[in-house]
Amino acid sequence: MGSTFSGLSTALSSLYTQRRALDVTGQNVANANTEGYTRQRVEMQATSATPVPAVHSVHNGAGGGVTVSDVSRLRDSFLESRGRAEHAQASYLSAQQSTFTRLENVFAEPSDTALAAQLGDFWAGWGDVANQPKNEAVRAQLLERGAVVADGLRVAHDALSAQWSSTRVQLDSYASDVNSAADAVALLNQTIMQQKSAGLPSNELADQRDLRLMELAELTGATTASREDGTVDVYVGGSSLVTGGVARHLVVTGARQLATESSDKVQFRWDSPTGLVASVSGGTLAAGLDTLGTTIPEYAGKLDQVAAALADKVNTQHRLGYGMDGVAPAGDLFVNTAGGAGITARTIGVGITNPRQLGVSASPGAVDGSNADKLADVMKLADGPDAAYRSLVVGLGVSAQTAQRRADIQLRVAADMDTLRSADAGVNLDEEMTNMISFQRAYEAAARVLTSVDEMLDVLINRTGLVGR
Amino acid sequence: MAIQVRVTQQSIAARVTASLQNNLNRMGDLQERLSSGKMITRPSDSPTGTVSSLQLRSEIRAVAQYSRNADDGLGWLSTLDNTLTSSVAQVRRVQELTLRGKNAGASSPESRAALATEVENIREELIGLANTRYLDRPVFGGTTSGAAAYDSNGVFRPGPTGSVSRTIGDGTKVRVDLAGPEAFGTGATDLFAVLDSIAGSLRTNPTALAGDLNNLNTALENLQTKLADVGSRYNRVEQMRQTADDRALTLRGQLSEVEDIDLPQTIMEVQLQQTAYQAALATTAKVIQPSLIDFLR
Repeated sequence: MGSTFSGLSTALSSLYTQRRALDVTGQNVANANTEGYTRQRVEMQATSATPVPAVHSVHNGAGGGVTVSDVSRLRDSFLESRGRAEHAQASYLSAQQSTFTRLENVFAEPSDTALAAQLGDFWAGWGDVANQPKNEAVRAQLLERGAVVADGLRVAHDALSAQWSSTRVQLDSYASDVNSAADAVALLNQTIMQQKSAGLPSNELADQRDLRLMELAELTGATTASREDGTVDVYVGGSSLVTGGVARHLVVTGARQLATESSDKVQFRWDSPTGLVASVSGGTLAAGLDTLGTTIPEYAGKLDQVAAALADKVNTQHRLGYGMDGVAPAGDLFVNTAGGAGITARTIGVGITNPRQLGVSASPGAVDGSNADKLADVMKLADGPDAAYRSLVVGLGVSAQTAQRRADIQLRVAADMDTLRSADAGVNLDEEMTNMISFQRAYEAAARVLTSVDEMLDVLINRTGLVGR
Repeated sequence: MAIQVRVTQQSIAARVTASLQNNLNRMGDLQERLSSGKMITRPSDSPTGTVSSLQLRSEIRAVAQYSRNADDGLGWLSTLDNTLTSSVAQVRRVQELTLRGKNAGASSPESRAALATEVENIREELIGLANTRYLDRPVFGGTTSGAAAYDSNGVFRPGPTGSVSRTIGDGTKVRVDLAGPEAFGTGATDLFAVLDSIAGSLRTNPTALAGDLNNLNTALENLQTKLADVGSRYNRVEQMRQTADDRALTLRGQLSEVEDIDLPQTIMEVQLQQTAYQAALATTAKVIQPSLIDFLR
């Protein structure tokens, strides 16, 4: 036979438990719109009867009420890690896409004013000079148009260079974002471990850590591994970024401007005395590295090819011509403004200042425009500057389109994953309301049990054995 | 969309927000197209379209230049044509004067001297014609750097002997000048020498006029042949210019086909998109609102 008052304590345990459950429901409702919040559920467990039968045990087998065994955090870790992988890929691709969008802005084709049109004006200028070889105004206009083309090439190169530098600066700040997120994860790891060993709930801390992990995944494509003690290890490119309560730091090393990029490659290194190279294979950081190491240098190189083709083809033909009062063949029209050999988009400039020196005539002393006519035909050369520039623009278009489509698809995949994740871990208000009603009713019922036990005891204590009083 | 067991207010909100965002994005794209009137505003809109667009633009420029070259060539050729026509008339007049001087056996030395003076005047005039200039360039001077093709004595000034041509189509060059000796003859049939000789013969030796007249006829025939040649070149350039202008129109049409939007279609698309967007907004407002809270007392 159990204790006389055991019914009271059973009802009391229910009152405690239902109230705790109501509190958790309240917490869920309160955080219905909190980013990263994971719904919680009170795990109830019936308190069993004395488990070990003893000689004098007279227990009749009824349980001792209910306890809260755990407040569990309802998040699917498999969905989480998939979500992180998709987000890492999405942020890599969208960073790549924005690189290409900015590159497209640099060239601003097709238009009536950009470099292709400037080149067109330049060739038309040669046509006009061929028509009026003696007219100095027409010659001066041609020189002006040559300068515009050279400026256009230089401006495009400067824009690429500026984009490179701004991406480089951005990469530094991304690296410090990674470091602060890694520190935060390490700190949270430590706290969670302590809470857990003290038997205290750490669900909200785990939510915060998940947010930080997502941030790390988006930045670096980091992967994670959970450990028994509740901590999470973070790996970047196979090396650990966070182990338990310890975080390592990343630094960006290498060139700070496009000009020195090829000799001093930009790299991520671990912030330690040995400074080993960290291979970051995903996320915004990897996209930034691609932009700095591959994409921008590639287009800067192609632009240099356009400049070199322009200077080469024009100068070669121009040298065959004669100026207005010269008996010697004309000199070079396009020169390296920095001095030295080789002409690139950065150094191209017009070397002739006197319009009379333009090599328009095919024979010395003649007022003849046939060399100018041949120069106008450079436009049509298959290996000329126009063709090189067209192939640059088209190549850029194809790459940009591909990047855009891949990013679109990946963003949709990531959004779907987010929906799945928030459906799994988010708060459903209908569900919470239903739970609230059932907890409330259970509380009321427990109170009723208490009342009836009380009434029972009242009968026993106050109204029993009154015979003869 | 994957089948979900569980749906939460947040997941619905996220999905709806994403869909509305997509909708609005498409609206934005369509509006941009409509307001710019262009299908292609950046290479990634259509890489192949961009190639065509760049090529068409450069062709349009080239054709416009051909047209300008042809206009310039027409200027040269019409100047030549006018000059040669006047020259022919003048030479005919000399022919007439020479015949008069030759035939009128009764004519006095005084009247022949008067004829000789007129011939000399015409010669001066013809030298002037031979030095006709177009845009400051002597049209009979080829690529000479001098200001005139003939000196005041009617002697052709040898200089650089190149000819002047204009590019009026892909690989098509047309000569637009005529060298002085080609038009006015050389050696015995050099028009100015012949005229000089006629004037001399009229004054002193009327019997030599017969030979002079033969030479004059040869020079005249030559002038007429060249006049016909210039005329046919004029026609050719004129035709090529017409072709260039037509081609420019065709190219512009093609460029517009590649780059420009189909207005009715785009407006239709905008309308459809607008309807879809409004419908999405309306249903979202209805679907997102209710929850169990509304029905609990």
